[in-house]
Amino acid sequence: MILKTKGNTYDIDAPIIGRVTRFPENIGYEILISENIFSKDWYRFKAVLSTNKIISSLEIPLIHSIKNLDHLNEGDIIIINTDGIVNTIYRVNSNHNFLLFTERCNSNCLMCSQPPKDRDDTEYFFNQYIQAIPLIPKDCLEIGITGGEPTLLGNRFLKLLNQLKEQLPETEIHCLTNGRSFAWENVAQKVGEIDNKRLMLAIPLYADVYHIHDYIVQAKDAFNQTVKGIYNLAKYGQRIEIRIVLHKQTIPRLAKLAKFIYKNMPFVEHIAFMGLEHEGYTSFNIDKLWIDPIDYQEELNDAVTYLSDFGMNVSIYNAQLCTLSENLWEYSRKSISDWKNIYFDECNKCDLLDQCGGMFASGVKKYSNSIKAVSISKLTNL
Amino acid sequence: MVSVIQKKNRKFKEIDYYKNEVSNYFLLPFRFQKINFQKEILVNEVGDFLIVPIGTAEKIILKKISKIDDEELYFDLISNFFISEDPIPILLNVLEARYRTKKSFLEHFTALHIFVISLRCEHTCHYCQVSRVTENKDQFDMSLYNIDEGIKIMMQSPNPYITMEFQGGEALLAFNNIEYAVKRAKEEAILHQKNITFVICTNLAPLSDDMLPFIKEHNIMISSSLDGPAFIHNQNRHRPQRNSYELTIQGLEKCREALGEDNISALLTTTNLSLDYPGEIVDEYVQQGFRNIFLRPISPYGFATYNEKKNKYQTEKFLNFYKTAFDRIIDYNKKGYYIREDYATVILKKILTPFPVGYVDLQSPAGMINNVIVFNYDGKIYASDEARMLAEMNDFTFQLGVLGQSSYNDIFYGEKAMDIAENWTNESLAGCSECAFQAYCGADPVLNYATQGNMYGYRPTNVFCQKNMEIIRYLFNLMEDESIEKIFRSWITGHSE
Amino acid sequence: MKDIIKLNNELHFSLNEEIYSEDVVYKCFYWYGADFNIDINKIDSMFLINITSKLDSINHNELLVKIKQDLIDFKLRDIVTKETKNIRELLIAKAFAHFESDDNPLTEISDPIGFDPTNF
Repeated sequence: MILKTKGNTYDIDAPIIGRVTRFPENIGYEILISENIFSKDWYRFKAVLSTNKIISSLEIPLIHSIKNLDHLNEGDIIIINTDGIVNTIYRVNSNHNFLLFTERCNSNCLMCSQPPKDRDDTEYFFNQYIQAIPLIPKDCLEIGITGGEPTLLGNRFLKLLNQLKEQLPETEIHCLTNGRSFAWENVAQKVGEIDNKRLMLAIPLYADVYHIHDYIVQAKDAFNQTVKGIYNLAKYGQRIEIRIVLHKQTIPRLAKLAKFIYKNMPFVEHIAFMGLEHEGYTSFNIDKLWIDPIDYQEELNDAVTYLSDFGMNVSIYNAQLCTLSENLWEYSRKSISDWKNIYFDECNKCDLLDQCGGMFASGVKKYSNSIKAVSISKLTNL
Repeated sequence: MVSVIQKKNRKFKEIDYYKNEVSNYFLLPFRFQKINFQKEILVNEVGDFLIVPIGTAEKIILKKISKIDDEELYFDLISNFFISEDPIPILLNVLEARYRTKKSFLEHFTALHIFVISLRCEHTCHYCQVSRVTENKDQFDMSLYNIDEGIKIMMQSPNPYITMEFQGGEALLAFNNIEYAVKRAKEEAILHQKNITFVICTNLAPLSDDMLPFIKEHNIMISSSLDGPAFIHNQNRHRPQRNSYELTIQGLEKCREALGEDNISALLTTTNLSLDYPGEIVDEYVQQGFRNIFLRPISPYGFATYNEKKNKYQTEKFLNFYKTAFDRIIDYNKKGYYIREDYATVILKKILTPFPVGYVDLQSPAGMINNVIVFNYDGKIYASDEARMLAEMNDFTFQLGVLGQSSYNDIFYGEKAMDIAENWTNESLAGCSECAFQAYCGADPVLNYATQGNMYGYRPTNVFCQKNMEIIRYLFNLMEDESIEKIFRSWITGHSE
Repeated sequence: MKDIIKLNNELHFSLNEEIYSEDVVYKCFYWYGADFNIDINKIDSMFLINITSKLDSINHNELLVKIKQDLIDFKLRDIVTKETKNIRELLIAKAFAHFESDDNPLTEISDPIGFDPTNF
């Protein structure tokens, strides 16, 4: 899936954000994709994109000589940067849209799929989203907020959350955060005051003891801050999801973590156990992280059934059914973003392909030895 | 568009970098107790437990647990709030919230209001010291005046959820008064913005078809009695025609049909006779399609004496009965028939969940007054149902007032209530204060008084203590078997698989 | 434990207060009251314990083993009770002091660019 392309620019002094259309009569849209050399219609738009090579003195913001624009659909929201880079912010035909609020992060997880950058991009992204959010279709079902660590936007984080609530009152907002900022009660309180019942804060908790969690996220005191943050969020009535990535560091105390969550935070709405994604730092740290899923089924089973037995809402993400104990299949969800999800050739022979969580495209780098087609006729429990 | 502010070293560090360097740890409040010859249990202030080899508590307390050599145990103790690396744990707020949650049954105050609507009964059960076989309604039915006054008090409860429970005698003999009381309470509940639930306790013998529409209309729950198969039930529950069992079964069927399974339950009264038939009693409950059974101990008010030996003998006999019946119940569950034992479930909820359990006989502070109050047929107000039984034996120690005369404050915060309160937290009772099972148990000043002559009680010979210590220990032992723990979880959540 | 005297249905011995405090001694022998009459006297820094069975006779050695073990356990319990007294009181006080706000962490939020959560 292409989310980024590049062309040559005319008259672009500041980033331009808008929805694309290929039809000049769609004057409600901001950005026109045109295959003409010139048209008077161009003046009605904030910018024009073209694959043609154009020489212009029109004083119309223009990106030309773009290799390919096939990935853009009617209504997709893009940002055109001054250097000619065109990023897709929102795709109308996807259920997996997310808003990357910042690439900054105060943690540095061993398995981070999107390694943080130490530069202050918060103003840039804030300006991008404050313009993009009103353009998102009102019937959008769900939208993710991700990073980096979104709360590092500070008050701009609150402004964007407020705007999301006003502009998209029917949309589920799923915000990935390390939760540490909420240890400061004022932060939790401010988010609480926004009072968006459709906001879910998804927070990772990797162990029931501080040193393992802190090691995994590579930040001292992170565990205590996250737990305190979860408590503060609960105090202000926020909905919380706990996320646990399954790897060599989280497996040994997984059942104890499950108990810690149920005993100390039974108010969380959902607990997601997630297979390892092979992006970003993971390859670098693969020796510290890799464990074949087939080798942690007992621990996963204990943790999942414990939580489920006590009425907690549990899911398993990013898992292939052939690597999962049969009694855990009911918890497996197809969660991998459409554009990241792949299957192997072997998978085409599998009777459960439709129900399978699949595999991150990056998963081809390292995967379980047990990937194999499942034949329904050989299953006992179905 | 973006400015690079600083370059920071994001080189990965090893796990030891993240372990605090501490010379020693600090203890947090916890209690311990052997549960068998190999194992002891550690229980912290909020009821979380670890089962460990005998001798572990000693090592912990004498600060002999090494962060390096006993790493797994060390961090188990940190994670479960048994020890801390700081004098005041950084996550003390978690423990606070847990403690507050465990005691949150106190928050709303009295929910259950028992109205002894009539003392009359058509049964003459030998263990019942209370009821009267009589037609004399004037003397033994609750007057409309007292009903009104009881409702007034009930509406003053700070609790937004209240339960009005009709007891007897046989409550259905005064069905007209129940109708009056339900309608009246409903009107008042609207005015006072209360959510009200109704329960009728009845042996079902006087149930007639024309009562059912009213019961259904007002969503009244029926709490009935079934003591076991006919030969036990009829022996326990004397009726001239010896047909108590048949009438109960007929009544159960009628109620299930008219009101639905969930609105009818049955209670077991254990008598000396029952103690010889644990299996038969469980079988009977299964045969009648029940999904729960409440193995209640013999009410000590039946055999109440100050005789330590007799009390101890009776308790041991009951515990044998309980365990045999319990094994049978586990068997049924293992075979796929879901049936839970209610007393164990109360305790298991306290052991395995972070939630409070509102069960009046097993709370600290005790359930009497805090969760339950009894308005007797004659207008006298008692701290609990057992307190009323004592009063029937002319002991008015636990009478808190009189309807129409005593104010809400007199009743709930008066001198009597304060006296009882001195003795109703097991945290402050000798023998209980350092008991490992404190968090799972409760305090019962009325029972102490009835069996030992004072509200404080004396634990070494106390029937409440003997019974609960053994049942709790027994449950922990059973839980060593994972398949049984799995059954216990299903009892707690009510999910059957 | 010193000065052990074994009589028919009696057992006498003394305990040094420096080893077993008054709290420990009383909490321990409290539980012996069901089957025994317990007499505790204190002379200087010694507790003199006289135990008389309410039944006919006692197995002195068995009883001594049990008493020694119980004394150790109650001493351990006493250590926990005393060492955790303050934290327990603080816990309960704070638990019931409902919506009082907690202090903010003193630890670092560790953002390389200098995010300050107090500025929210």
